[in-house]
Amino acid sequence: MDMLLLMGADSGLGTGPGPAVPWRKVLWERQPFPDNYVDHRFLEELRRNEGLRQYRYWAVVREAGLVAQQISCVALFLTLWLYMEQGLLSPSTLLWSGLLCALLGYGFYQALGPQGDSDSQQRTRWSDLQSASIFLSFTFGFSPVLRTLTESVSTDTVYAMTALMLLAHLVSFPYAQPSPPGSLSLNAALFASVCLASRLPGDHRASRGLNSSSPSSLHTFTMLCWALLVFALWPCLRQRLRECAPQGFGCVCLLMGLSGVGGLGSIWPGGAVLLAAVLGAVTLLCPLLLIRLQSDKDNIHGPWDEAEIREDLARFLR
Amino acid sequence: MVLKIFFPQCCNKADSGLLVGHWLPGQDSAVVLAVIHYPFIPGQVKQYIHQIRGQSGVDLAVLGSWSMPKEGQEGMESFLRELRTIFPQGRWLQLSREMGKIGFTCNVLPRDQNGKLVEQEKELEKVENDLEGKSGKDGRGWKNEEAGGEGKTKEEKTGEEGDKVIFVHYEQRKVMLSQLHPTDPPVPLTQSTSELRQVFGTVSQSESLFFLDKYDDSPVKLTHWQSEGREGSIIVELMKQASTPVCLLTAWILVLWTSLCNSRILNVFPLRFISSKLCSCVQLSYRTEHLQTVSSPTRATSHTDYMRKANIFMSFLLDVTLGLLLIYWLYRENRVGQLANALLPAADRVAKELEELLQWLMGAPAGLKMNRALDQVLGRFFLYHIHLWISYIHLMSPFIEMILWYVGLSACLGLTFALSLLSDIIALLTFHIYCFYVYGARLYCLKVYGLTSLWRLFRGRKWNVLRQRVDSCSYDMDQLFIGTLLFTILLFLLPTTALYYLVFTLLRMVVVMVQGVLQLTVDFINSFPLFALGLRVFRSYTLAEGVKFSVLCEEPGTPLHLMMDINPLKFSSVVQTYRTATYSCYPKDSWLALCKKLFLGELIYPWRHKTTKID
Repeated sequence: MDMLLLMGADSGLGTGPGPAVPWRKVLWERQPFPDNYVDHRFLEELRRNEGLRQYRYWAVVREAGLVAQQISCVALFLTLWLYMEQGLLSPSTLLWSGLLCALLGYGFYQALGPQGDSDSQQRTRWSDLQSASIFLSFTFGFSPVLRTLTESVSTDTVYAMTALMLLAHLVSFPYAQPSPPGSLSLNAALFASVCLASRLPGDHRASRGLNSSSPSSLHTFTMLCWALLVFALWPCLRQRLRECAPQGFGCVCLLMGLSGVGGLGSIWPGGAVLLAAVLGAVTLLCPLLLIRLQSDKDNIHGPWDEAEIREDLARFLR
Repeated sequence: MVLKIFFPQCCNKADSGLLVGHWLPGQDSAVVLAVIHYPFIPGQVKQYIHQIRGQSGVDLAVLGSWSMPKEGQEGMESFLRELRTIFPQGRWLQLSREMGKIGFTCNVLPRDQNGKLVEQEKELEKVENDLEGKSGKDGRGWKNEEAGGEGKTKEEKTGEEGDKVIFVHYEQRKVMLSQLHPTDPPVPLTQSTSELRQVFGTVSQSESLFFLDKYDDSPVKLTHWQSEGREGSIIVELMKQASTPVCLLTAWILVLWTSLCNSRILNVFPLRFISSKLCSCVQLSYRTEHLQTVSSPTRATSHTDYMRKANIFMSFLLDVTLGLLLIYWLYRENRVGQLANALLPAADRVAKELEELLQWLMGAPAGLKMNRALDQVLGRFFLYHIHLWISYIHLMSPFIEMILWYVGLSACLGLTFALSLLSDIIALLTFHIYCFYVYGARLYCLKVYGLTSLWRLFRGRKWNVLRQRVDSCSYDMDQLFIGTLLFTILLFLLPTTALYYLVFTLLRMVVVMVQGVLQLTVDFINSFPLFALGLRVFRSYTLAEGVKFSVLCEEPGTPLHLMMDINPLKFSSVVQTYRTATYSCYPKDSWLALCKKLFLGELIYPWRHKTTKID
């Protein structure tokens, strides 16, 4: 600050150090200082780290659990696919169990939901039934087409596309509000499931004698139904659970994680270890990192920032 | 102030008399058109000039006097000088020339001098208007020639004040027959047109002045370009007489033909549509219009109309000649039969090649990965079409020779007609390629459209029709689900359809190119201005682009006489100006738009026929 004063004094108009008139921070008035002169109040309006949030560890861990949960969902789906691919589960079993899960889930959903009047509930049920029948009929109708779609594409390409799509799904998932699932995430997940479904091995009874590996329609249908369950309907139930029964939510989270790791471990132990590591990192390590790095933050704010309109202008729209 | 006098070359040796011509309004120039000889009666002269003025519309007047005294006519000069009082004028020119000398003497007498006529000494300016390099040499050459031969008097350069006069000599007949380009619609010679145009216009409009000659038995005796001998040709006169009944007959036949064409029977919707697509019908109607233009009994009023009629007539003659040559060549050694015999195997061969192509596509073409099911479906569909086509051709095979024979005969209507028929035959023979192209393009277009729309759904967006932009949209679950399924299907089926589309588009492009070449030839024959080019070659003075001046005599202290020569129009400008307007096929879209259409799968009709407009 002293150097500045000296500079300002030296480059003044020869009036000597400390002129009688104090310096004002205006440019429309001719002052005996040069235009780039500032006095000791330089940078006094600087503010550091304004509005910084202080995180608490366990709150962040709880929020990170959502990400971990979604990862384990994906892992669960992949487990199912692996089971079908290696022929350990027949598609009909999986299909019936899927239907059962769907009915159970629907029951839970309605039980936990807000109790409106029976009339609107009836209508909702009817539209739900309609949606379900549309899903099922379309999926069943398109299965023969879908199963030969990626016949001529090499397996590596299919796996690469699947991985990319699942990554996109995880990245674009609306963690804060999963109840209406985001378009990109749902579509990416469905695309990945179609790719995977076309890579299932064929029905051995039908394809004896042929050396093709095209899956039968039932495999594809099952895969798609489970994709719908896992990626579209389960987040809704989860959200409802979170809203209405927060204690149960925590249990469910834990259950999901364990079943993901366990399921993967039963068929691919290396993958289970990897998944456990990833889950642990996401849930426990990343919040730690966040809080540690938070203290290294150094943001400066000042009157040079862009103006933010904080006022709620909605009052003008009334 | 420089006074320019345009003097016709034919009057250089005329006997003494009065100068008749026209003062150009707005310019300081005069055009001399003829010389009226002594003896004359001034009243009759005035009457004659008044009559000619009414007939031609040019503001003729007596400009002054011309004296070239021969032996025994010494008193002429003073007599001619007194004539000034009889013909009141703004300015009075007194030109005189002596035998054996180069150059004229010129006195300009202004009107507003009362009392004695003041003669002002004139000077002829040495004006450097050389546009060509060689005219300098020409000037010197002229001078050397004339030193010994008939001379023109040299004017002494005396005095510096007063008007300067330039003599510009022109060849009257050539200027009269010539047309200055660019031709504007005929306007009266007002002050706004350029000086050169006014000169040309004056001379060409004064035709009625040139009927009477000094050898005629009339009260006034004139000297102009006809005095060197009137020209006429008996063949031209006979043809002119014969042309009127021929024109009437042709016009009548054409009226019959057009009424037949426009009759209700032939105007049923499918026939009309087909005939607008076939090149030969278009060409026929076009030629009918041409013949109607040519055979109209009214004379062509303006230069452009005349040239157009002549061009059309010549191109028609050329066309018919070439057509007759073609017929002679075709029918001489039974080439028609050979052609018919070669046609069937050619069509078979084309079909076989197409089948092989489809088999290749149904396999793994170029190592690309196709969806097998869709591949099979499309391939079998197209193969069935080809099978149908071949059966149809085989059905027609007995009649082909007869059809070709008659079609060949139609070339007597002109080579253009035969070429358009050929183009139509090619179109008919490759109709199946066109069908395939349309199927492939429609399929591909649908797919691309579906894909773009579903891609937007994939990202959670929608096309806002009202705002013409892409907006975010929250879809229902079932919409998302079905949309994703369809998107996947369309995406994986894209390479297959794209390949079929590409192959058939290329085939179609080949056919279109061939047809385009034929059309271009037809267009060229239709629109080439043969008559104008012939005029340019043989009578280059009729199409003038401008003038060039060469110096006739150049000596210090003597006046410059300039010779005005006509600069003929360049060949390229001739072709460009006189091209007959045709329904030329030109590309409808620029290259970029064409590529975009190809990419999106829209149907392409790359050549568009402009409708003819007679202007």
